[in-house]
Amino acid sequence: MLGIKNIASYLPQKKVSNYDKKEKFELDDDFIENKIGVKFHCVKEDDEKASDLCVKAFENLVKKTNIDKGTIDCCIVVTQNPDFNIPHTSAIVHGKLELSQECACFDISLGCSGYIYGLSNILSFMKSNGLKNGLLFTSDPYSEIIDHDDKNTDLIFGDGASVTYISENPLYVPKDFSFGTNGKAYKEILCDDKLYMNGRAVFNFTATTIPKHIQKLLVKNNLEDSDIDKYILHQGSKYIVDTIRKRLKVDESKVPFDMYEYGNTISSAVPIILEKELNSNHKRLLLSAYGIGLSWGSTILEKN
Amino acid sequence: MKATVENIKEIIAEAEVLGDANEMKNDIALSEQGIDSLDVVNVYLLIEEKFDVQIPDEDLAQVTTIDAIVEYVNNKLV
Repeated sequence: MLGIKNIASYLPQKKVSNYDKKEKFELDDDFIENKIGVKFHCVKEDDEKASDLCVKAFENLVKKTNIDKGTIDCCIVVTQNPDFNIPHTSAIVHGKLELSQECACFDISLGCSGYIYGLSNILSFMKSNGLKNGLLFTSDPYSEIIDHDDKNTDLIFGDGASVTYISENPLYVPKDFSFGTNGKAYKEILCDDKLYMNGRAVFNFTATTIPKHIQKLLVKNNLEDSDIDKYILHQGSKYIVDTIRKRLKVDESKVPFDMYEYGNTISSAVPIILEKELNSNHKRLLLSAYGIGLSWGSTILEKN
Repeated sequence: MKATVENIKEIIAEAEVLGDANEMKNDIALSEQGIDSLDVVNVYLLIEEKFDVQIPDEDLAQVTTIDAIVEYVNNKLV
């Protein structure tokens, strides 16, 4: 049975403080800590690309688990800030990691919801094609597209990457997935040179759509809140995570909030937290991610 | 249901803003009474849901105070 065998992540050491932007954006500490929930955000070096962050995440994975690179037969990168328009970043990662030539590589162009889609894609693709060992990367270096005069985006996003090792005898296996899209609202988060985000529209979307979407997935699987040990929600902002949690009527202890020191890392936000929960003795986890598109997806993971 | 100062203040309290909603002035902008940009977005969403009205972005300048919100919502409900 294929599933999540291990996860590693990479966060650049260089950090920018939001406290240094208090005057520029007329902020107070409460807003930084309790509303945005980002004290510092990680920024990659100028000469680093998405693929470099993936390679560093993989180096961290190798430190945690024995992996024979020659056995990797699937490599997927979720990104919307690829190294180049052509070719796909997964091919570049494949080359840098010196993976076998008998390895399928492709990218998935999705933002915040990308990890959930990526997880479903890699498992389906591997099962359909008899593959045994896969790597699912997320890497979306937003520092390349941030407008530093835009309060809506400059305070939130951080660079980071993750890699999820998919193999036999996993720790967790997805029980079910659910996905959604509202393409009519695609302009609410848009990058045409620099990133634009309509904060009000994004908040309204997450507050109204996501709690109902999560509830529906639970009902579909005959599960209740008491059956879920942790809800790992996309770290859009502390305000958004708190709002979804309150609307779901879920206890705060079951919804980790973790991005104070590194920011919203887009498709890496969920796997960065999942990595920390992976070796806890949770029976069942619910992952949910939402944003650009507008797109959303959730999955229920069960301990194998 | 018509909008009143009282039920708008209940909604502001429901949004868990800093301070006591009942102590808020009706004719002073919410932003000048400690409600930050995220809280005010939440307040508008709760109003939209409670009264089943839409407050488009281009109308936000019309709903800066509690009195203005009451008038705006009731005009929408007519």
